[in-house]
Amino acid sequence: MGTEVSTSPTSLIDQTVVPGDIVLDLSNMTNQTIKLGSGLRQDNDSISAMRAGKLRYSKPNKYWVESSHKRYIPRPEDHVLGIVVDCKGENYWVDIKGPQLALLPVLAFEGANKRNYPKFEVSTLLYTRVVKTNTGMNPELSCVDESGKAAVFGPLKDGFMFETSTGLSRMLLSSPTCPVLEALGKKLSFETAFGLNGRCWVHAAAPRIVIIVANALMNSETLSGTQQRIMVEKLLEKISD
Amino acid sequence: MEIDREDGRTPNQLRPLACSRNILHRPHGSASWSQGDTKVLAAVYGPKAGTKKNENAEKACFEVIWKPKTGQIGKVEKEYEMIMKRTIQSICVLTVNPNTTTSVIIQVVHDDGSLLPCAINAACAALVDAGIPMKHLAVAICCCLADNGYLVLDPNKLEEKKMTAFAYLVFPNTTLSVLPEGSSVAEGEPVEHGIITSVTHGVMSVDDYFLCVENGRAATASLSAFFRKNFQQSQKDSSKAG
Repeated sequence: MGTEVSTSPTSLIDQTVVPGDIVLDLSNMTNQTIKLGSGLRQDNDSISAMRAGKLRYSKPNKYWVESSHKRYIPRPEDHVLGIVVDCKGENYWVDIKGPQLALLPVLAFEGANKRNYPKFEVSTLLYTRVVKTNTGMNPELSCVDESGKAAVFGPLKDGFMFETSTGLSRMLLSSPTCPVLEALGKKLSFETAFGLNGRCWVHAAAPRIVIIVANALMNSETLSGTQQRIMVEKLLEKISD
Repeated sequence: MEIDREDGRTPNQLRPLACSRNILHRPHGSASWSQGDTKVLAAVYGPKAGTKKNENAEKACFEVIWKPKTGQIGKVEKEYEMIMKRTIQSICVLTVNPNTTTSVIIQVVHDDGSLLPCAINAACAALVDAGIPMKHLAVAICCCLADNGYLVLDPNKLEEKKMTAFAYLVFPNTTLSVLPEGSSVAEGEPVEHGIITSVTHGVMSVDDYFLCVENGRAATASLSAFFRKNFQQSQKDSSKAG
């Protein structure tokens, strides 16, 4: 092992990288703009990986390292599930499983003004989007989309919230629909909300359906598409009698 | 002059390595690393908001808690904590998450020689599992000197007791690079020739010490390769869904 060092690989895209691997050489890429996503940093003339995972590339110029963890790194335009921790003055302090608590302005709701704004208790679950993240500052959230409408954002009432890894929530939010969700949706009716920060919320008429759906989702992390469908079928068979 | 090791290894041969990540449920990153019979468990919590009182608030702060297998926490454990904290601070990128604290907890499961290097490797694997941004990995190795001047790598407890001196050495890992050969230089020497930490016990001459460093660095290639292969294996097992 370790004898491949004599011929450097031409490209590490779609390969597993560990911290320290140099993934791009900028010296022969002048006059190009490259966008670096999570897990990459610039080191003078080269881009090296900071996290371990798979290096991904999307045209025209985006590179990032894809990995799944229990904590979340906030990025703008991500939809996340936050839990209210405190309300101080003009902002709610919301926990989004990141390195810092996030701020949600009290007026960032549809139709809110100084005299009439929603008041949430501590530990309310909210579906929000991340607006701004700057190094050293707390990330900012909002419950309205760009046009000022509430859309899907706001508090989530009833239901059951459980935590997963960020990789699983990405898979559940991917399009086309994840096989496990399709298979469950054919037989059961339920409502879900997934946050990219590794939090999932499920709501259904009966508690047993909530539990079935939650268990199926938690088990589907390491399964392939067909395995997920088989798992859901077996689960539904068991409870249908 | 050959030295006969009790378990039949050659002087430069390491004990069998085993590593598993994401083994504990609550911590944000966890790993267990074993070299032969020495086994250490590491857990990482964080980054969490806020730093301690005397720490620089513009950088990320790390704290290490060392838990021995038996007995109370004493000076030896505090020393290990300090060494590990400095090592971790030099491999992690401190500017990405300023004003946060990351806790690394080390639990010794069994000590059969070469304990601190095993703990550093375990902590590194746990930090990777937690997704803490790092400049490169750290690979640690123990190198010791017998009375007849012969060098031995990765001793077990009995061998360690018989040696006149030993050194714990931590090097950056060997990295893959898309740069053409020879261009990953920093101040005239490739980055892999750096050394992160060195802790020595006993008396050895300067030449012997440099020989230790050379032998230790040669062994880092196999440790890095093991880590990379182990990580790729676990990625394959867990991401069949893509």
